[in-house]
Amino acid sequence: MEKILSKKALPQWVKTLTSYKVYFPKKDKDERWNYAEIDHEDINLAFLNTTLPPKKLLFPQKELFLEFAKTADGDQETLEVKEILPDEQPVVIFGVRPCDARAAWLLDKVFAGEFTDPYYWKRRNQTTLVGLACDTPPWENCFCLSVEGSPCSEEGLDILLTDLGDKYFVKSLTEKGATLIRAGKKVFQNPKPEDQKRAQAVQAESVKKIKRQLKDARAISSTLKRMFDSPLWDEESMSCIRCGICTYLCPSCHCFDINDELESASPLKGNRVRTWDTCQFPDFTMHSSGHNPRPEKASRLRQRLCHKFQYFVETYDKFQCVGCGRCISLCPVGIDIIKVLEKVNQHGT
Amino acid sequence: MEHNLYLPKLAEITGIKEEVAGARAIKTFRTAFTNGTRLEYRCGQCAMLSVFGKGEAMISISSSPLVKDYLQFSILKMGRVTTALHELEVGDIIGIRGPYGNGFPIENWKGKNIIFIGGGIGLAPIWSVLQTTLLQKNEYGELTLIYGARTSNDLVFRQECEDLKRKMSVFLSIDVAEPGWNEFVGFVPQNVLDKKPSPSNTVAITCGPPIMIKFVIKALKDLHFEDGQIYTTVENKMKCGIGKCGRCNIGPHYVCKDGPVYSWAELKNLPQEY
Repeated sequence: MEKILSKKALPQWVKTLTSYKVYFPKKDKDERWNYAEIDHEDINLAFLNTTLPPKKLLFPQKELFLEFAKTADGDQETLEVKEILPDEQPVVIFGVRPCDARAAWLLDKVFAGEFTDPYYWKRRNQTTLVGLACDTPPWENCFCLSVEGSPCSEEGLDILLTDLGDKYFVKSLTEKGATLIRAGKKVFQNPKPEDQKRAQAVQAESVKKIKRQLKDARAISSTLKRMFDSPLWDEESMSCIRCGICTYLCPSCHCFDINDELESASPLKGNRVRTWDTCQFPDFTMHSSGHNPRPEKASRLRQRLCHKFQYFVETYDKFQCVGCGRCISLCPVGIDIIKVLEKVNQHGT
Repeated sequence: MEHNLYLPKLAEITGIKEEVAGARAIKTFRTAFTNGTRLEYRCGQCAMLSVFGKGEAMISISSSPLVKDYLQFSILKMGRVTTALHELEVGDIIGIRGPYGNGFPIENWKGKNIIFIGGGIGLAPIWSVLQTTLLQKNEYGELTLIYGARTSNDLVFRQECEDLKRKMSVFLSIDVAEPGWNEFVGFVPQNVLDKKPSPSNTVAITCGPPIMIKFVIKALKDLHFEDGQIYTTVENKMKCGIGKCGRCNIGPHYVCKDGPVYSWAELKNLPQEY
């Protein structure tokens, strides 16, 4: 289904979505773009990209898994464990950049398969992603084209909006997307043939504006395998201050920890929670004996890159990187995965 | 909604045996689910144990799947959760989810000799296979156990090992000589080289500290075992047990899901990062 939505009519559409919790990009107090639940005065898609990807709305930085509590009845103590799944609440996220939606599509692969993650899928299935094609690269380090994405890719999205100046070209991609459009039916017009052509022209133009490129990304998987013991990893990780920003801001990184948090030790009462974790911390892999398979920064940088460009490719035949460029633009010491991978390619071939 | 894989089932501790005392204490726990159900599992699979309020730890199941009355875990007191487990008493409730991992392909070993090579608490995952093959002894060839620990006090299943000597070859070792010790003194790989098991129609399975595993494999190679005749079970830090939390990987493999059991033919082709 394809429609036209005038920019002025966007708030009207959003107002019809009464059963949904609606998120839009919004500048926070630190002047960073972030996804926030809207107040209806602030409906605006004039943004580049958010610092934190929308991943947190599908896979929160911290989420409750279960509650446990001991209750005493005389001498009889009973332990109760209660599963806490996310609330039933349809969500719509507006202004998801195509790279971040592709990252959700990659997370789908991780959280599906033989073992389905019920927490992720409860959220994912009730969330509609309304994408916004990039007419300008949001970051100077965007390189989506090199990892099989594009500024107007559709994977992971339910609707794709393309900015035509005073209006959006609206393309529904899934049943969830169609439902959202049906909800606001009166605000949409049918596209004219020239609208379609203009949308295609905007998309074709945007592709030309991506400056950075990772050459021959498909070849990297086998090169990485050969370069496992290379001294290059030491050199390239030397400046790392192991802050983990590269992974926390990554839209496709999925590593997590599971821990118990106590509300009361006696009587026992607490929560089991899942939190984001990062392969860049030494204790991520450290055994309780002290043995650590990845004790040095070098092995951890190698893990991050091998996971994204070798292991994930071997398992799913996809890069686990969408080329959003956040880890490059926001690394405090300037570690640049494109440059590191280019060196890997130079040295390993 | 499908069953929630992260939700543990409650189990009661029905028995505790102190195997090793002191700083590196080891206890063997027997457990039974409070709802009366049983876990179907394979030798070498693991389960995620919960001490509510402390967290979870992945522990290999040391009892045989043929034993239906209890699930057994032999646990070295080491980190937060295992220390909490050591403080529990019979009747206390823990959580168990699983089983996880691939297990040993023992169906393929019918008619073959099996050599079990363990170090320290590394005997626990092997014990499940040993007990199972012993219960089906007529289906397998000769069974041999080569097992060692730092000192005689660190040997787990000490009495059981003595009793086993009536049923199969058992060679014990300790790292440093002690008064009254009549068996081998030295590291486990040295004991393997000393006993010179023949690779003919034989499978060797080994578990212990990572450094021991590496040298046992080297010793077996020196004795002309083929890569496909050597099996080990790898341990890594784990949180989810289902290949999603990202920490137990060896290359593209998640040990919790694709392992923990590997033949050396498989493991040697993965990055040597475990």
